[in-house]
Amino acid sequence: MNVVFTIMIIASLVMLIVVSPESAFSIMISGASSALKLAFTLIAIYAIWLSVLSLMEGIGLNRMLNRIFKPITKRLFKGESDLALEYITLNFSANLLGMGGAATPLGIKAMECMQDGSDKATDNMILFMVINSTSIQLLPATIIGLRSSAGSNSPSDIILPSLIATIISTATGVVLAKLCAKLAKKEQKKAVENPMPKAPLYIQNTVKTGTVKK
Amino acid sequence: MSKYILPAFIGIVIIWAFIKKVPVYDSFVKGSKESITLILSIFPYICAVLIAVELFSLSGLNSYLAKIMSPVLTFLGMPSELCEILIIRPLSGNGSLALLEGIYENYGVDSYIARCASVIVGASETVFYVGTVYFSTTKVKRLRYAIPISLVACYVGAVASCILCRFI
Repeated sequence: MNVVFTIMIIASLVMLIVVSPESAFSIMISGASSALKLAFTLIAIYAIWLSVLSLMEGIGLNRMLNRIFKPITKRLFKGESDLALEYITLNFSANLLGMGGAATPLGIKAMECMQDGSDKATDNMILFMVINSTSIQLLPATIIGLRSSAGSNSPSDIILPSLIATIISTATGVVLAKLCAKLAKKEQKKAVENPMPKAPLYIQNTVKTGTVKK
Repeated sequence: MSKYILPAFIGIVIIWAFIKKVPVYDSFVKGSKESITLILSIFPYICAVLIAVELFSLSGLNSYLAKIMSPVLTFLGMPSELCEILIIRPLSGNGSLALLEGIYENYGVDSYIARCASVIVGASETVFYVGTVYFSTTKVKRLRYAIPISLVACYVGAVASCILCRFI
């Protein structure tokens, strides 16, 4: 993330210094202020969804939904707690129904339940993010709305191709994520099975400081 | 039909909660409070990402990159006009909707290009936003292979969208 972020900012700034240096700062401010606006809208949306969510928890609706989808989620996310699976199920249902505002706080809660305390994302967390970032919406309501307001003859024409494209991208994501998880595990195993032969102390030290600097 | 689902769902949950003697009012107070703490932890991430995205799209770097990338799209059998929207899509939701409206205006809503763009935007997500916000309250700093795979999956979906739009 850090690398992508830095490259993006530096490249854009260099471009701006060439094209129009006086607008650079105002563009940065407009980015930050659009974040502020977004945050205020999100407070409102999340306030409602988190309230409804806590009601759903109270009446046991979460547990019911979890029981229905557990056979699927349990297989995808091996070794996760019931609570994590509950949030994952709710996040997926919200996404499927196109309620992005509800999906995000649920997704954050699911991630909190799945973390193992280290600074590295676990394989399950990554799988969850990949599924979320390939959009599993059944009905792209926003786009249909945009199309009808732009005067389309049949704004809902895109439903079927969107659905198929979503299935393709999500399936690709799941397969790739599972593959990467397997590869990572293999490498870890290899490292445990054949540990590096012990080098003399001075070499070990240089290696250590080398990795620290990196 | 779909406009009734949301209010009906929330209404049913509230009535159900009332019958089950779950405190409705207190739940709303609790939810609203939680919302503020949640935003406080998300906001720094959104802000940093949006500053970079705004710089990227307004500096002209975006359209410059789009020009470089367009042969790749032609090679994949996609209209090269979609380059800009493909680059912005994983970065900014609002940005890609604005570009989508531009495409509707320039090429006509029911044109092949506009339909492709609609399907691409409808069938993908703001990958970088999801990546930052979802991990924002955890200790995770290293996302490992999460973002590359999400991007690859989204772009596979985008290529598929263009093929699908030809037949459907």
